[in-house]
Amino acid sequence: MKRYLPVMFISPALSLLFVFIFLPILFTIFLSFVNWNMIEPNIKFVGLKNYINLITEKHFWVAAYNSLLYAIIAIVLDLILPYITAYAITRVKSSWHSLFKILIFLPTTLSLAVGSIIFLWLYNPVLGPFSYFLKEIGYKTPIGFLTDYHLVIYSLSIIVGWKLFGYNVIILLSSLLNVPVDQINSAKIDGATPWQIFIHIIIPQTSPTILYAFFMTIVLNIQYIFVPIQILTNGGPDYASTNLVYLIYQYGFNFFRIGMSAACSIVTLIIFIIFMILLFKFIDKKVYYES
Amino acid sequence: MKVKINIWHLFLSTLIIILILPVLWMILSSIKQEADFYTVKLFPSIHSLTFSNYTTVAEKIPLARYLLNTLFVAISITIAKLITSLLAAYGFARFNFKYRDFIFMMCIFTIFVPIQITMIPNYLLIAKIHWLNTFPGIIVPQLADAMGIFLLRQTIKSVPASIFDSALVDGANHIQILLKVLLPIIKPAFIALGALFFINAWNEYYWPFLIISDKSMYTMPLALQLFTSQEGGTQWGIMMATATITALPTIIIYAFFQKYIISGFIKSNIKG
Amino acid sequence: MAKFSRQKATKIVLSFVFVTLFILLVNLTTYAKVITIEYWHVNSNNFGGPAVKEIVDKFNQTHRNIKVIAVYQPNMYLGLMQNLQSAISAGNPPDVAQIGYQFLLYATDNLPHYPIYKAIASDRDGKKFISHFEPNILKLGEVNGKLEDMPYALSDPVLYYNKDMLREVGIKQPPHTWAQLLNDARLIKEKTGNYGLYIQEPADNWAQQAILESNGAKMLTKEGNSWKATFNSPQAVEAYTMYANMVKNGLALHAPWDQGMQAFVAGKVAMAITTIARANYVEHNAKFSVGTAMFPTFGGKKLRVPAGGNALFIFSKNPEKQKAAWEFIKFLESPEALTIWVKGTGYLPPRKDILNDPRYLKPFMESNPLMEAAVKEFPYIVPWVSFPGNNGLQCEQVLLDAREAILSGKETPKKALDSAVDKINSLIK
Repeated sequence: MKRYLPVMFISPALSLLFVFIFLPILFTIFLSFVNWNMIEPNIKFVGLKNYINLITEKHFWVAAYNSLLYAIIAIVLDLILPYITAYAITRVKSSWHSLFKILIFLPTTLSLAVGSIIFLWLYNPVLGPFSYFLKEIGYKTPIGFLTDYHLVIYSLSIIVGWKLFGYNVIILLSSLLNVPVDQINSAKIDGATPWQIFIHIIIPQTSPTILYAFFMTIVLNIQYIFVPIQILTNGGPDYASTNLVYLIYQYGFNFFRIGMSAACSIVTLIIFIIFMILLFKFIDKKVYYES
Repeated sequence: MKVKINIWHLFLSTLIIILILPVLWMILSSIKQEADFYTVKLFPSIHSLTFSNYTTVAEKIPLARYLLNTLFVAISITIAKLITSLLAAYGFARFNFKYRDFIFMMCIFTIFVPIQITMIPNYLLIAKIHWLNTFPGIIVPQLADAMGIFLLRQTIKSVPASIFDSALVDGANHIQILLKVLLPIIKPAFIALGALFFINAWNEYYWPFLIISDKSMYTMPLALQLFTSQEGGTQWGIMMATATITALPTIIIYAFFQKYIISGFIKSNIKG
Repeated sequence: MAKFSRQKATKIVLSFVFVTLFILLVNLTTYAKVITIEYWHVNSNNFGGPAVKEIVDKFNQTHRNIKVIAVYQPNMYLGLMQNLQSAISAGNPPDVAQIGYQFLLYATDNLPHYPIYKAIASDRDGKKFISHFEPNILKLGEVNGKLEDMPYALSDPVLYYNKDMLREVGIKQPPHTWAQLLNDARLIKEKTGNYGLYIQEPADNWAQQAILESNGAKMLTKEGNSWKATFNSPQAVEAYTMYANMVKNGLALHAPWDQGMQAFVAGKVAMAITTIARANYVEHNAKFSVGTAMFPTFGGKKLRVPAGGNALFIFSKNPEKQKAAWEFIKFLESPEALTIWVKGTGYLPPRKDILNDPRYLKPFMESNPLMEAAVKEFPYIVPWVSFPGNNGLQCEQVLLDAREAILSGKETPKKALDSAVDKINSLIK
């Protein structure tokens, strides 16, 4: 009986994951090798044709590149900036903390769909407040936040960054508050400047959290960025804002080319697995452990 | 010393204004008259503000019903996910069994899987067992989420093993340890996770969109779609009113639990 | 009191039994005959939702043996198609559904359905029913010459204009031709600094098809047994160049559909080309006097505007349900139901006879002058191009990419159209 104890603990969650995530992945693998719209009775087996079509499409590579770009921007917006913000909170009187915590987290409580629609108005090149503000400081031509090839990725990243910001600030703030005060105090007595304290004590002490936040930011960003892409730009203009997840959706739900969508899904998952393995190996080496 | 504080204050205040602005815009829009959306003025005059958008929403849709639906779904998902995540996290953290780490990695992998991949196969399954348009159909597939397992495992691992060992020596079985020893210690992290689960379940759109066609089963995110139409144009004011109503419960939940959410992350001592 | 005879008691009991049995029988037969059918629509609360409810209620009341359940599908025709695809693969399709014209070919080729021409053939009144519809409207529902679906909602692109702004700069009449429109736009820009025109940019190529084909280009041409994309002809390049130049010179606004329409309604753009179905929305929200004019022509060339809206498909497998579905469709297309529909959505009716009938739409047309331009375009309505084959839907995306490339100035119209034609031809072969 004792041998089966761990199995009993993990089986509820695991069976859910198996049925609703692993089985669909297996089904998707199957779909990627056929040409089938899931309706007609004959299923045409096409081997690797879907994969080859996928890799030879220019916009697959654009989507892959964009996914990387989104991730890098997310690191700045959702890791570096929140870290600085959390640090800033620790540097002000703690009576302000509660208020800051509530206000910063507010965007996180909204749904991303609502957030996207709000930004649709804010980004209006003729009516929106951003354009208004830019015109006031001298920019005459209207800025196409959602139609400019180079700007659109940043415009969409800001929406997701805006939503995730508060969540990451909270996580990093907790970690910062956990740094042993005596270490800081003894460093101060030794004459260390705030900058030195920051680099040599605070960052290492919070590094586990930083890496956790790094991991979650990348993962959540990949999923979340899908919503503004779908609502605001449909991957456009001309694939400038698409990413791998949107491509999966586009092939399956816009073009109804299910085989291609499945192939894209599998390739995307493989890329994620590689990333995950690299990340965990990296974590093991760089993190400062208490014990 | 005083100068330093001012800089940080300035930085934070600017940041917070930027973050809050869109939320304020949403709330302001929900009390604007429709025609006032289409002026170049940033702020309409006080006189033209109105609550009519809210009354229209309450008239046009069974608001109470939708709120209750969403509440029921969100609470069910939260409780079920908390239970399964806690059990699994305990299993991974406190036991040593064959392939343990490999299975754990597989669980973490599922966090990466986008819903677009699992949507259709799950839909076909749910349709086959006749769970379309039913609460189990909405709730059960959304329970498959390894995020909680990840977080709680960290939390449990940060609790000194000696606490568990002494309880075992005292003759307690694992369930008793879980409920009477572990849970009180990790209560903040547990509540924090629950709040996050709730917010996500409350705002979930894609799965309910696929599963629910019966209007009486709608959740609030779906209700938002009732006022938008690409063909006929959208009523923005009413839409923003619906969005504000949808956001209120999550804001209240967060404000209520925010103390726990912070300390929750402190206690869990997130390590790699 | 007379003695209670046994005979009398038996009579009473028996008659009671018979009456009960009779009532039960009647109920059973009428109960057994109620056929429930599902009707999928895209009409949200602010776009025809109440009209759909009214029509369905009326039908259910007057047809006691059929019960129609209306199901709203969010996200317009695309959202409906997504859910339809899933529902059919799961084996429970709706009975009647509104299929957007851009999905016509895909639906006909890939989704098992009961074709309308079969319903007409097996209906005594079929021919009479169909005779009410203009040939060019029926053509919208035809694939390979056969009527697979019933055209229902109809829209065409019209030129909305800001009467106040035009008058302000001295323009007395809205432009009829593109040449006039260019002049007007220049005048607007000089005198007010506002944009002259906004052409809708949704996730489809509808309005742009109107521009190209009105200049004499053809999107798709049949060559022998196969179809070839032909929208890179000189006329097409000419039309798109004119459009692209307007954007380049600041005369036309280039923005997503929602943002562009917001700008027009706010009075920052003088004219807008978009669907007549937006008439209610524009009139309701604009603070200026709104007018509509016909889609501009290229000199004397014949106007060609694609039909927007949807057609009704029957997806039932069961013959009884198919019959019930056909009854419902006939009702939807009846003068009374169409009147409610047009008033509630702003779509055009697919039959002309009720437009001038005082019992039906004449009063509505008179009190809604914005509809006039749309009606005048009736004879020029052509099918919205659908691309054949499994990859047909992706072709629309290729057109969108070309539009983005051209309007943002990244590629010249000729180059963008050439590569789009190549791409599409490789997809549809």
